[in-house]
Amino acid sequence: MDTPVLMPQLGNEISEAQIDAWFKAVGDRVEKGEMLLTITTPKIALEVEAPASGTLKEILVAPDELAKVGATLAIIAAS
Amino acid sequence: MPKALAVEPARFRRKGQLDLKPIPLHQYDRPLATERQRRGDAALKAVLRHMLVVREFEAMLGSFKAKGSYQDIAFAYRGPAHLSIGQEGAAVGQALALTPGDHIFGSHRSHGEFIAKGLSAIAQLSAHDLGTIMEGHRGGALLHSVERHLAAPTVPALAENFLLLGLLAEIFMRDNGFNRGMGGSMHAFFPPFGIYPNNAIVGASAGIATGAALRKKLAGEATIAVANGGDGSTGCGPVFEAMNFAAMAQYDTLWTDQNKGGLPVLYFFSNNFYAMGGQTIGETMGWDRLSRIGAAINPQGMHAETVDGTNPLAVADAVQCQRARLLAGEGPALLDVECYRSAGHSTTDANVYRSREEIAAWEVFDPIASYAAKLVAEGVLGDSDVQALRDEVASLMAAVTRAAIDPKISPMIDIAADPTLIGRLMFANAEIATPTGTVPLLAQPETSARIRQDAKKARFGVGADGTKLSPMRAITLRDGLFEAILHHMTRDERLIAYGEECREWGGAFGVYRGLSDILPYQRLFNSPISEAAIVATAVGHGLEGGRALIELMYGDFIGRAGDEIFNQMAKWHAMSGGVLKLPVVLRCSVGSKYGAQHSQDWTALVAHIPGLKVVYPATPYDAKGLLASALSSEDPVIVFESQRLYDTVEQFHAGGVPADYYRIPLGEPDIKRDGDDVTILTIGPSLYAGVAAAGEMASAYGVSAEVIDARSLVPFNYDPLIASVKKTGRLAIVSEASERGSFAMTLAANLTRFAFSSLKAPPRVIGTPNWIVPGAEMETSYFPQADDIVAIVMGEMFAEKNVNRRGLRNWDDRELARKAL
Repeated sequence: MDTPVLMPQLGNEISEAQIDAWFKAVGDRVEKGEMLLTITTPKIALEVEAPASGTLKEILVAPDELAKVGATLAIIAAS
Repeated sequence: MPKALAVEPARFRRKGQLDLKPIPLHQYDRPLATERQRRGDAALKAVLRHMLVVREFEAMLGSFKAKGSYQDIAFAYRGPAHLSIGQEGAAVGQALALTPGDHIFGSHRSHGEFIAKGLSAIAQLSAHDLGTIMEGHRGGALLHSVERHLAAPTVPALAENFLLLGLLAEIFMRDNGFNRGMGGSMHAFFPPFGIYPNNAIVGASAGIATGAALRKKLAGEATIAVANGGDGSTGCGPVFEAMNFAAMAQYDTLWTDQNKGGLPVLYFFSNNFYAMGGQTIGETMGWDRLSRIGAAINPQGMHAETVDGTNPLAVADAVQCQRARLLAGEGPALLDVECYRSAGHSTTDANVYRSREEIAAWEVFDPIASYAAKLVAEGVLGDSDVQALRDEVASLMAAVTRAAIDPKISPMIDIAADPTLIGRLMFANAEIATPTGTVPLLAQPETSARIRQDAKKARFGVGADGTKLSPMRAITLRDGLFEAILHHMTRDERLIAYGEECREWGGAFGVYRGLSDILPYQRLFNSPISEAAIVATAVGHGLEGGRALIELMYGDFIGRAGDEIFNQMAKWHAMSGGVLKLPVVLRCSVGSKYGAQHSQDWTALVAHIPGLKVVYPATPYDAKGLLASALSSEDPVIVFESQRLYDTVEQFHAGGVPADYYRIPLGEPDIKRDGDDVTILTIGPSLYAGVAAAGEMASAYGVSAEVIDARSLVPFNYDPLIASVKKTGRLAIVSEASERGSFAMTLAANLTRFAFSSLKAPPRVIGTPNWIVPGAEMETSYFPQADDIVAIVMGEMFAEKNVNRRGLRNWDDRELARKAL
């Protein structure tokens, strides 16, 4: 089963944020709760955790790119 | 919040007890014979002479206040005289252990410390250095006057006359006083001898000396700062804020290399047991011995010690020991120097709060009588030598006093001949050149995610199709501020930035975000929640040649730093007669949505205080350019920033926010929209309501409004506004400050005067009501909206158009005023 990694809701005034860095590469094992990537809004930098354990199957948004709140940033496949 | 410092439960959740370090009391017991061997007879004799000079100087002031005469000299002195008679041992002992490069900051009762430090510096400086210092002070005017009227056989003796005349002329508010008479008794100072400002606000020197110590540490100087104060000042919160600031653990845990270690500052409390009419021990304080408070500050207990202040050698020994600790990076330090004040608080003090018996019991410990007796007993001096010293000092003081009251030697400043002279001393009105230096960085700016992110943004905030870009896609006001800060911080090592969450958090509103990747701790750090210390340390840092960018998270916290902003940051340039500079930029956000204590526009409070420059930019272009000017200024500048505008993109300046560095001069209002029928002058975020109102008035009613953004409050150039009003004949001034006493009211009053003949209607102030700021859902009923502006302008200035009033502001201002609203 695949689990999407979503751009979190960052407060009701923020509609999009930038991906700064991925700490895992496609194919890497990830554990639920592990820090997966960092994002920034105009005001703050935040860490996003892996929502499930498994293998990082796909990264959909590259560093320095913007994504809307709720957008899928990556896919984790259950292993 | 640094992740490097984990808060481990195991460390904090275990049973135990705190063992406090013992605090020495009166431990000095070195025999005079040993001191004689160590210091030599001449030095021991100089200690007595210096105490006599201090005593005679104050006896002279006291005599003028009490009798209108001293020796055979009649003079009416009208200023203050807070005497330290009985405390000379503390002042002279302290000075004995300091070098000329150590800097003292005093209190309202600091004549003694001033004189003792000056005499000590003179004794240590070479004749050549003394000559250079005296020639360098105001073109040698005071020196040449001393050479003519108080000639002396040696350079040090001449320098002593220079010191005493410069001080006494200052106390008598003469033009040849050290600070041109702008400081007076409670504020005199002379930096070349290491005598920094004395301060009429109790405890205020604590924070300033702490900032001076920070600068000394960062500049790598092997000298210390001394905060002189009385026991009464331990009741002042800012003193505790300062001591904690000097003891912050991060100097050891996070700062690196030569910057490690607590600040080199000595808090020297001349404990005379009384705080004006209140007795500290036993009445107004909880401590039994003042030195106990050191235990509250850090595990070292600030190396606190109680010392016999009636014995100058005991004091010198303690100061010397603390000084060595401070230079080894073990600061801060505290000395409780017990020295009974035998004179009253001031010359109006009738001693009704203490008994004659108590005063008599302390007389035997008079520092001069007891020290002189010891020197005689030891054979250093004979009784006749002591008397000869007394006579010499009395004669010296008479000569200095005659010179200080003689208008030919010590003239008053002629205000009648030059009525704005004092005004011109308020500001340096100077800027540094654009910084171009190379400073050590943790990483190059290009490596920062924030900078990469900003580099991809559009510089103008409106797209080709006319839509406003999101703050992720165009440079915002926050980014504009950041770019100005980045330029200065990465090119000028004298500049440091701090506030309550400035580092990893990036400031509560993200202005500094990314800087912690680039700048080392000593350039950018988190401070304690100590607004008074934040501002006071920036003042001290500035007085010592540093530059500071500090932040109060909300403008509503200005009250927590009231004295430091109103009396310290604002005053020292003028009170120094223009000698000291205060390059301090204080950023304050103006809140929104958080209600009554987090949403107030307090620009009027600071604009009211002479000595502060005040700006309130509302666009990214203006924010970057005005902050660059503020950071370049040699004067203190307060920058207000609306939290509602941090995400605002540039909508006015053609071409957007330049990526390169630029400055916008302080004080120039800017026309944001041209018009012919009415002028809308806005302050801060009201710009956007003003522009929206102008749009509606044009489209719905055919009224053409010119919108001018004030941008700055102090200074302020009225010319563009007068020109606009001459064209339109009508003026509305919109701001988010409570109307009563606001800066908008000042502008309205002045514009009425300056452009009266052009006005078709009285200027109308549209501010906020004189009641609390309500919470988020009710804010639009409080801050002027475009609807309010349209309704008031159309209703009151264009009545013939018969526009229906929609806004909420139909209240009766006169009725509200009667009800205190």
